[in-house]
Amino acid sequence: MSDLKEIFVNTQHCTGCLSCKLACAVQHSKNKDLFSALSQDPKPKSRLYVEWLWGNTKVPVLCRHCEDAPCVNACISGAITRAENNAVITNTDKCIGCWTCVMVCPYGVIGRDKDLKIAYRCDRCPDQDHPACVDACPTEALTYATVDKFSAEKRQAASREVAQGQGG
Amino acid sequence: MGRKYVIVGGSAAGMAAAHTIRKKDRNGNITVLSNEKAQPYFRPMIPYIINGKKRPDDIFLSGSGIFTQGGISVKTGFGAKSIDFQKKTVTTASGEAFLYDKILFSSGSTPYLPENIEGLDSEGVFSLKTLSDAQGMAKRSETATHVVMLGGGILNLKAAFALLEKKLSVTMVVYSPEVLSQLMDPKDAFPIRNALDNAGLNIITGISATQVLTDSSGVCGVALDNGSQIACQMVCVGKGVVPDTGFLNGNDIKIDKGIFSDPYTQTSIKDAYTAGDVAVAIDPVTGEKTVTSLWTHAVEMGICAGLNMTGSKTVYTGTLGIMNATQVADVPLVSMGIVHTKNSEYETHAKKTRLTYRKIVFSKDGTRLIGALFIGDIKNAGIYRYVIREKKNINGIKSHLINHTVHYGHFMQP
Amino acid sequence: MSLRNQFEEKTKDPAVQKMLGIASEQEIETVWDRYENMLPQCGFGETGLCCRHCLQGPCRINPFEEGQETGICGATADVMVARGLDRAIAAGTAAHSGHAKHLAHTLLKMATGEAKDYKITDAVKLNKVANRLGIAVDNREEKEIALDVARAALADFNEKETPVLWAAGVVTPGRVKVLSDLGLVPKGIDHEVSEIMHRTLYGVDADPVNLLLGGLRCGVADLAGCYMGTDLADILFGTPTPLASEANLGTLKPDHVNIALHGHNPVLSEIIVKVAQDMKDEAAKAGAAGINIVGICCTGNELMERHGIPSCTHSVSQEMALLTGAVDAMIVDYQCIMPSIASVAECMGSKIITTMDICKISGADHIAVKEETAAENAKQAISSAISIFQTRKNRNCRIPDITNKVIAGFSTESIIAALSKLDAQDPLKPLVDNIKAGNIRGVCLFAGCNNVKIPQDTNYIQMAERLLKENVLVLATGCGAGSLMRHDFLDPSKTKERCGEGLFAVLNAIGEANGLGGPLPPVLHLGSCVDNSRAVEITVALANYLGVDIDQLPVVASAPEATSEKAISIGCYAVAAGLPTHVGVMIPVTGSALVTSVLTEKVKELTGGYFIVDPDPQSAADKLISAIDERRKGLGL
Repeated sequence: MSDLKEIFVNTQHCTGCLSCKLACAVQHSKNKDLFSALSQDPKPKSRLYVEWLWGNTKVPVLCRHCEDAPCVNACISGAITRAENNAVITNTDKCIGCWTCVMVCPYGVIGRDKDLKIAYRCDRCPDQDHPACVDACPTEALTYATVDKFSAEKRQAASREVAQGQGG
Repeated sequence: MGRKYVIVGGSAAGMAAAHTIRKKDRNGNITVLSNEKAQPYFRPMIPYIINGKKRPDDIFLSGSGIFTQGGISVKTGFGAKSIDFQKKTVTTASGEAFLYDKILFSSGSTPYLPENIEGLDSEGVFSLKTLSDAQGMAKRSETATHVVMLGGGILNLKAAFALLEKKLSVTMVVYSPEVLSQLMDPKDAFPIRNALDNAGLNIITGISATQVLTDSSGVCGVALDNGSQIACQMVCVGKGVVPDTGFLNGNDIKIDKGIFSDPYTQTSIKDAYTAGDVAVAIDPVTGEKTVTSLWTHAVEMGICAGLNMTGSKTVYTGTLGIMNATQVADVPLVSMGIVHTKNSEYETHAKKTRLTYRKIVFSKDGTRLIGALFIGDIKNAGIYRYVIREKKNINGIKSHLINHTVHYGHFMQP
Repeated sequence: MSLRNQFEEKTKDPAVQKMLGIASEQEIETVWDRYENMLPQCGFGETGLCCRHCLQGPCRINPFEEGQETGICGATADVMVARGLDRAIAAGTAAHSGHAKHLAHTLLKMATGEAKDYKITDAVKLNKVANRLGIAVDNREEKEIALDVARAALADFNEKETPVLWAAGVVTPGRVKVLSDLGLVPKGIDHEVSEIMHRTLYGVDADPVNLLLGGLRCGVADLAGCYMGTDLADILFGTPTPLASEANLGTLKPDHVNIALHGHNPVLSEIIVKVAQDMKDEAAKAGAAGINIVGICCTGNELMERHGIPSCTHSVSQEMALLTGAVDAMIVDYQCIMPSIASVAECMGSKIITTMDICKISGADHIAVKEETAAENAKQAISSAISIFQTRKNRNCRIPDITNKVIAGFSTESIIAALSKLDAQDPLKPLVDNIKAGNIRGVCLFAGCNNVKIPQDTNYIQMAERLLKENVLVLATGCGAGSLMRHDFLDPSKTKERCGEGLFAVLNAIGEANGLGGPLPPVLHLGSCVDNSRAVEITVALANYLGVDIDQLPVVASAPEATSEKAISIGCYAVAAGLPTHVGVMIPVTGSALVTSVLTEKVKELTGGYFIVDPDPQSAADKLISAIDERRKGLGL
């Protein structure tokens, strides 16, 4: 199995603080610090979303960098490619803002930059060991792990729950 | 010896198939026959050639997106002329013959030129389909000052804007009551129309051209069916396209509008497949056969055909007859599924704001989302496409769909 | 990375670095660990863009999100930030004035005979304050005057017909006019705090500039609280005069009963110092060589300036005192007391004794101290410390062998007294002459705290080094003074190497004239954080002497490592008074470009003062020096 990492979401841990969104925008700003990002024009964009469900579930939604990504197939300008770290990225120089990717993304995670008239999306922070959103998350609702490790941990957690259930 | 794959047509569907085959079959022999002189390119990008924003080098497929495989022989300037399904041979216009084990027909489409308009073969009349068309328009636009666009579809609009950016004056003659009539009801197009008017595009609707007028330097005007004439030095015809199936004339292959395709992209002939603009696909919403010239559809069907040709049996689930996204005059729009609701019994919900318009269309009984039109605010359009295409159960989220507040969280398992 | 370097990133105090090694070895969690665990900190909080003022919230405005420009109620980022800042100012004001109110009650009870453990120590100051308040002094009993002063003090908390006397009566006439014209004269200290709470409530003030002016008025009320605190403490416990002392963790003595007094108010600590004298025998019986009292934070400053009691450590390093294992009891009153000390004390077998009804800490012992029974309460606390000593005495203490020499105790009165040795008739003249001549380029007051975000003391050290070399006379209060004293800035033997020539000459002349056989220390210790009032008093005296207003003087202020909301309210009254005021920590206002620009630029047109927010100590020092030079130029110097 691949040792490439992915960002995993645990909605049960999400408090809706939006720190991930701030960190994402800052990481995608020129100087990469909050205070100068605030005065950047146009403002840097965050590339993930925290949605809300009735019952107060907070749902971080971000690009899954799909295996068979519809956006890659759909792109009419060749701007969307799969990078070495397995992330699906949009080359801002090639993007012409036709929004076909927005139309085909079933997660709704490709944004439309109204100022630059191009699409923006998660690039998994290629310059960083960890994506900024994961580092910013105070509750580990976002984690960065390989698929193997994440599913192993999930299995362990599940077995713990089972064990506790039996004990209690 | 590897299997021989021949692909007729080197655009989206053909090249997507070629790259898919290469991934699945490292030893196969892949030959793509393209009747164009240029190497394969992103066809929707050619308006940018007209205004010079892109050079041909910038828009070639090779190395971008899914087009990253090597070892594909692309023979440019090789239009297919005839097929012998018995001998499994395709012969080109230049007389060369290629044997195949599996063949793909992805020859695309050619512009539809209405017969009732005279003079469409004159110098200075264009129909934007190929890179060379775009280059011709770019050249002509150097000397022209006024252009008449016949037809108000997306491609013509993009061409019109490219020419406006080159400071030409542009008149668009549209037979329909409004531009973009394939993508929306005329009354839904007002935000686009406002933006187009503001951008300086002169639009005449409900009028048809009857004749292209010429002088020694080619086009000098257009005569209209209301008796008036417009002086111009250039005409661009954008009246739709027709599948390019000429090379199959005389063969016993099922063609109805386009080339018949079974659910596995195979034609009525064994070992012959089809994909893209030339192929007939099923619209999952209407269940009807459709022939559509959409890049995304061509790529996806091409990938599917490539898989089937290498033996990975894969169903092509079809495409929405209408599925288009673009930005015209700084206004983004997405139109998907059934969006023409005038005089229909569909349950429709329209919402107009100062800068945006949206229309959400449900089936008559209101249980299924079948179409959506977004103008100005296209957020989460992909979620709507997903719901339309996958016929998702909309229990509990219908109001979010109507109010444009739906998000991916609504589809998570509890 | 070596351990040593790792600790240098946390603190510049070598004693604290040593203790951090011990903490890490013993796996005891400190403020630095908790800070690292807290990272990343919430950007909405950092920028002031969150609001919990109503139950429809919490709201936060994402500055990077289009279409989300307001909170649920419609409050813009500007309003949200201004409201948040106002509440911080109100909290700071409430704290300083709460401290002053405590002293006023003590003075009142002393005057009525209810608090027998207290007396009037400085009758001269009592008369001075009474005169300022218009209270008759001639032929009256001291206690009668004190009673009137105490009542006047308590009256200043309410809204009443007169403005707050401790504000309107302590600044220049010009400043009174500026503040009156801007509507910035407080009507009552508590009234202003309460009005801030009102106007920042859900659905009240939504004009950011109006909110900021309200905050500034509350800041002026904070000046009153501070000034009153100083005045009343001086009356009850004496006005400081220069004296020698020591600082840092080396002041703890392994063979003594060590009592650390931590917090702010001298009301209890003064009594403990006195009672401890009488309990030497008990300590000896327990096997101790004596009772060693040390101070932490501003309680330390109060005791140091009046009695020369050593200061053990300050602010962010308060846990380190306990980590030595030598502190038997830490007796605390209120403000700046980290709740974490209870668990550190538990680890070290020490005891935290809380003493105030409004400040209890889970895990600490509580003795409810009343002014009426202060000595008795003090005795109980000291006994508790002695009994801890008995269980601790054979245990190994790890006290870093680091102490710093200190000369402290500069009040306005003692500075003028010292200057009068140069010119008895006109004591301010030598000071003013030296300012005019450029030997003193300007004056900078360092105030405020340490902040865990900044390697402890870094900004104080770098800025003070720079300013002293540039011949800026440096005054310090609170944990700012604490920081500088732990790096020898209060040691006269360092004056020559630290100061520029002109400044050294002045400090040396004053020292020699006062028979010190050498210069004054490089930095003058004015006392605790309420004693920032002393800096205001000196500045006002200079302005009045020159016949100008405060905003014309080459005087600046800096809180380079601010932590407490008290630092924000102090900053506000410094700005209201007309001083360029540096803050070395980002205050949570950057989410509003408007509020930021009002505080750092536009307010200058109103009061002459303004905030300089700059985390870089060198560039901050540059800015303060240019502010000083700009004002010198304005005065034609």
